[in-house]
Amino acid sequence: METDFDVVIIGSGAGGAPVARELVLAGKKVLILEKGPMFVPQYGTDNGCSPFKRDELISDGFEKRLQIPSLKNHGAAYYSSHVEPDLNDEPHVYRDSDGSDRATLEGYTAQVVGGGTQLYGGVSFRFAPLDFQLQTFNAGRGALPGDPNQDIQREARDWPISYGVLEPYYVKTEALIGINGTTANQLKPFSKDVLHPPLEPNPVSELARRGMIDASKAAHPGNPTPPQPYRTPLAVITRDHPSSGRKGPPPQPASADAPDFADPKYGASAKTSYVNRYGDPLGYKSSTWNALLHPIKDNPNLHLRCNCTVTRLTASGRKVSRVYYFDPSGTERFATGRLVVVAASGIETVRLLKLSMSLDAELQSGLTQNGTNDLLGRYFLTHAFGGASAILPDRVDKSIALDADWASDFGATQEFLNANKLWASGFFYNNTSDQALPLSLLRTIGAQDLDTLWNGYASRTDIKGDAFIQYLADNFGRGLSVTFMANQVPQRDNRIELHPTVTDKWNRPVALIIKGWHPHDRYLMDTYAEQCGQILKRGAQLMGWSGEQANRFSFLGQGGSYQAINGVARIANHILGGARFGSDPADSVLDIHCRAWGLDNLFITDGSFMPSSGSGNPTHTIEANAFRVADFLKTVL
Amino acid sequence: MATPYLRSPVHYLNTAAKHLARRNTDGRHTYGDDAGPRRDVCEAWRLPIIDTYGGGSPDVVDPSEFPRHNEVSFLYAGDSESSPNSVAVIGTFHNLYQAVPLARVLFEGEPTRYFAASFVVPRRQRHAYRFLVDGRFINDPINPQTQIDESGSAWSAFFTEEFTEPMVFERWELEILYRIVTRIAPFRTEDANNFMTRFYFYQDKQARNDVFSNIYRLDDSVGEVNFIDNLLAREERHHLIDYRICLRLIDGLLRQRNPFLEPTEMPETLYADLYDQMATDSVPGWDTTQYGSPLYFLQLLRRHAAMGAFSHPRYGGNTGAAGWAYLAETVGPFNWRPAIEPPCGISPDYRG
Repeated sequence: METDFDVVIIGSGAGGAPVARELVLAGKKVLILEKGPMFVPQYGTDNGCSPFKRDELISDGFEKRLQIPSLKNHGAAYYSSHVEPDLNDEPHVYRDSDGSDRATLEGYTAQVVGGGTQLYGGVSFRFAPLDFQLQTFNAGRGALPGDPNQDIQREARDWPISYGVLEPYYVKTEALIGINGTTANQLKPFSKDVLHPPLEPNPVSELARRGMIDASKAAHPGNPTPPQPYRTPLAVITRDHPSSGRKGPPPQPASADAPDFADPKYGASAKTSYVNRYGDPLGYKSSTWNALLHPIKDNPNLHLRCNCTVTRLTASGRKVSRVYYFDPSGTERFATGRLVVVAASGIETVRLLKLSMSLDAELQSGLTQNGTNDLLGRYFLTHAFGGASAILPDRVDKSIALDADWASDFGATQEFLNANKLWASGFFYNNTSDQALPLSLLRTIGAQDLDTLWNGYASRTDIKGDAFIQYLADNFGRGLSVTFMANQVPQRDNRIELHPTVTDKWNRPVALIIKGWHPHDRYLMDTYAEQCGQILKRGAQLMGWSGEQANRFSFLGQGGSYQAINGVARIANHILGGARFGSDPADSVLDIHCRAWGLDNLFITDGSFMPSSGSGNPTHTIEANAFRVADFLKTVL
Repeated sequence: MATPYLRSPVHYLNTAAKHLARRNTDGRHTYGDDAGPRRDVCEAWRLPIIDTYGGGSPDVVDPSEFPRHNEVSFLYAGDSESSPNSVAVIGTFHNLYQAVPLARVLFEGEPTRYFAASFVVPRRQRHAYRFLVDGRFINDPINPQTQIDESGSAWSAFFTEEFTEPMVFERWELEILYRIVTRIAPFRTEDANNFMTRFYFYQDKQARNDVFSNIYRLDDSVGEVNFIDNLLAREERHHLIDYRICLRLIDGLLRQRNPFLEPTEMPETLYADLYDQMATDSVPGWDTTQYGSPLYFLQLLRRHAAMGAFSHPRYGGNTGAAGWAYLAETVGPFNWRPAIEPPCGISPDYRG
């Protein structure tokens, strides 16, 4: 088996695949080591059948039980998907607010070729220009709500690159990945519009669209042109995509029992609501496998080894010398690369490097800059997120949808941030595939996160017989939720460590997640949740309902993720920070090229490079940055 | 006779690396009655691999026949890349007395410690098998399912999708389960009865043969109980003990409350009272030394009944997609067919 490569890349998701593609096409010999299986759509398999299925028991299926006695939630039920690790094999442990340690499914994207991009809903925002300059923006603003000591002014960091530097790579990502949506009305300048046209929105979303217009107007008094909604960018192709060789989804065929589908505007076969947490058996979803790796899979320069778990890196002087991994049998092997790129998803990247440091003094020396820098794992970030939800008067078929329809940046104007005294911004979008299928509705009653599935339904013993039908009639196809995603305040003590006692299936220490919300985060989440509530309430006023129909509208509530029972653990699978890049070696882990300051050939390209979490879902920015880093790598190889 | 064939090596490694490869022997996966090597591995029920059949076997080459079959892949993990020397499988899915060799799975062209072979097997079947490892017959050390042969000896066993014969429950257990599940699932109203009758009656003969032949009891409105039986035989077998104890307790309680009727013949009100008492976790006469919380069992049953009513029909519930069809008619609109593969659905592209 070959062991020597130009580049060894750990992880094939949003951070790893763009680098792999660029360097393979540049003629470099590239090894990708992927921990997860080679699960791909139908067209890439040897028999035309995909392990990704339209099957509600694939995503959150059968009950398993946590069996780690030292953890507080020992014995708890969990429901992991087929591409998440079994929690008993490889738990993420977080320290709860009561000081106890608990395992959680939060914080894993997916262990599979293509990583989290196989499973995600595909929401693909660019970050806003202001997201790159939060230190500058907040300088001199004084104390903000919840921040009397001005932590924000101390902790906010400008990125070492501006929006303008990343913009061409956003365009490149949109073109190569294959993203649909609209560019008009976004508060991010587009030098080029390469988005595929969006599909017709699901009818449930119309209220959100109207509400976004009205809430934006109310939030911008005196502004004659408040931001308008736009179609949420989604990583799903709607047209043929030549660079990946994929055909766009055809209109559904007409049939006697599916008359709506005769209208191609209404139903494209990509819209099934088996979207978020499902791999796409037909490959319309633009995972990094479908978009970037499948097209080059037969290139002799590309060596893709799936089912291989990287266990440690070793260094010699200022260079990573070897990458050790377990092959599918569990036998240890190694590879060498002139360059090594780690893109294992933030928490796992930090864990791998910390494990390696504990076993290799030279690597330790490199990653700590001879013991002077302890930032690796610190300033771990996710998003401040939450939303609002309502029950609409009339049912629609939510099972014919992608993950989100409308979005708005009205919470990202400087006018909004100043009026509301917010340190940074967030974006709004309305969910469409949530609770769209029968089991996803039932198992998320009273719970939206992965650790508490079925609990709400289990306790609602009144949902039975006739009342079961009534529950479905009241809820199925009638729920509408609006989400916000916003910047979380960076805090030095929010961090990833190695757990002192809990180990994975290889007997290696697992990751320990220690994080809390800053009081300003709570204030910010309340502020954005209120706007989500406004979107729904105002939208309902504009639907032209009256009488009985209007009475059937019911606003359910609003809130931020910090309010959830396990709010400390909530990560939304947006795993960011922990190895931030910067221009000062004393203040960052990586340089502007995402290269470790103390190791000349080690690069990190997953979300851990981010000094702040941005105003929206991060995958697009991770991919764009990985393309940017790849351009630099071409110059040093 | 079934002819073995091989998928690409990565197909087998995808399962082997996640579920079998490990060094930790904490027994973290034994939250049921499992013993032996399977205590350490995750999701032992995934073996043998039962998947959609997409061709590959010379036995079934007509694509229109594919949906009536499953692909069954046997996977055996040896100690190392060089031991054992040979692994074969015998079983009732094949000529029982002819061992079929498994091939060593390669990774990057080099041997791994895994052996594998695939077969096409009709849906709705259950079979017994054993491995022949270096000339010695053993049961599958990972798969916990067994079946007893005529001589009383336990063999490893598997069943294919939509299997409809009871595997873990006895008749009296099924009868009680039907009655309780009826309290939970939304299919027992007069409207629902009318719907089910129409739904089943108006299927044409071909459709009945294709999809609906597994309606073996109309009591089991959309196959929820059948689903639970399948689930407890495989994916959630750790909960079989809950059912065993609680159904016996419930049987005893019902007989106490009405000594003159068999539980299956008892009036609806008895079951309604029992449900309500379980929901408050306070059931007069319930022996909590045997099972602490009747509410816990009710919650378990509620989750299982819902999964059985609305999960993909491959799991043995939602018979012929009747649960989805009922939802579409009663609650609707719910146009589920275009996303789902034939024969239940009408997707031209998706193969299941």
